Amino acid sequence: MTPVSTSLAVVLTFAVLAAVAAILLRDVLNAIIAFTAFSFGIAVSWILLAAPDVALTEAAVGAGITTVLFLVTIAKTVRPGGERLFERIAWRSVAIVAVLVGALLTTIRSLPAVGSSEAPVATSRITEYYLQNAYPETGVENVVTAVLAAYRGFDTLGEATVVIAAGLAVLLVLRQEAYV
Amino acid sequence: MSQTDPNRTYVESTIIMTTVRVVVPFVFTFGVFVMFHGAESAGGGFQGGVIVASAVLLLAFAFGIEPTRAWLEGPLAQIAIASGGGTFALIGLGALVSGGAFLEYPAYGFGTDGVKYGIELVELGIGAVVSGVLVSLFFSLSQGDFQSVGSGGANSNSNGDGDAAGGERA
Repeated sequence: MTPVSTSLAVVLTFAVLAAVAAILLRDVLNAIIAFTAFSFGIAVSWILLAAPDVALTEAAVGAGITTVLFLVTIAKTVRPGGERLFERIAWRSVAIVAVLVGALLTTIRSLPAVGSSEAPVATSRITEYYLQNAYPETGVENVVTAVLAAYRGFDTLGEATVVIAAGLAVLLVLRQEAYV
Repeated sequence: MSQTDPNRTYVESTIIMTTVRVVVPFVFTFGVFVMFHGAESAGGGFQGGVIVASAVLLLAFAFGIEPTRAWLEGPLAQIAIASGGGTFALIGLGALVSGGAFLEYPAYGFGTDGVKYGIELVELGIGAVVSGVLVSLFFSLSQGDFQSVGSGGANSNSNGDGDAAGGERA
């Protein structure tokens, strides 16, 4: 195993353990902290996979802001009684999840290896086009930004509109008088 | 730790206030840098906007949510949301007016520099939208009614989440 795949295995194991902890922990605050750890693990794994743009998003949104929004929300909830640390496990749900995960795992063999030069995304003509033309056409060195803001600018405008619409809708529901 | 009043989750801490006072200018600058520098390195409007919003959230954690809300008095977040979305749409429409297609940056006629600055402006607009939405979401979520939840059981740990002092509610 290469150093990258070894560290990736370690980080993903950490993320999976954190995800399981987030599910099993009974106290919502503990679950949120475990969920933050999960997001952090995923962010690090994006860095290891050489996707810094996605890693930055995951770290800022998943591990950062979402945690804070969860925290201000659970400040209004009631802590469950009793001293148990973990939820009771619903074995029927576990069985369903196990079947689903097993079905998904069978597809892994058909995925290209990480970093493989034979992967469709590396051999695709579209990838080739962006890598060769993004800089001369847009003067932007980060191809991800060039694709997002120029080639797929209309999609990104749609995304920004979704953020505005979702934000306004939630704010209306929360009835802050300034927005009504 | 100090849980004298279960309806009051904000705990004043010199350590947190001092740390935040030192850290926030850097966090804010980094957020704006990520917004601007999305063209040259990793980042962009979405990520930078989130980081800028987290600077405001840090202030709220350190100095209490109500004082921070009062400090940001006025429709700052709404203006950020509206102007950010407006900037993006206007840049698209401007290309249309200049004889190109919607969002066709070369239509402005400044060559690749024009494309690049168009992209930078779009990223800034996205950053304004994202930070405005997140800051107002945070303040709205934290403004709920603690009294009606019933005292005693409220999950008011010492993580300073939420300031129950807010008096005005819809």
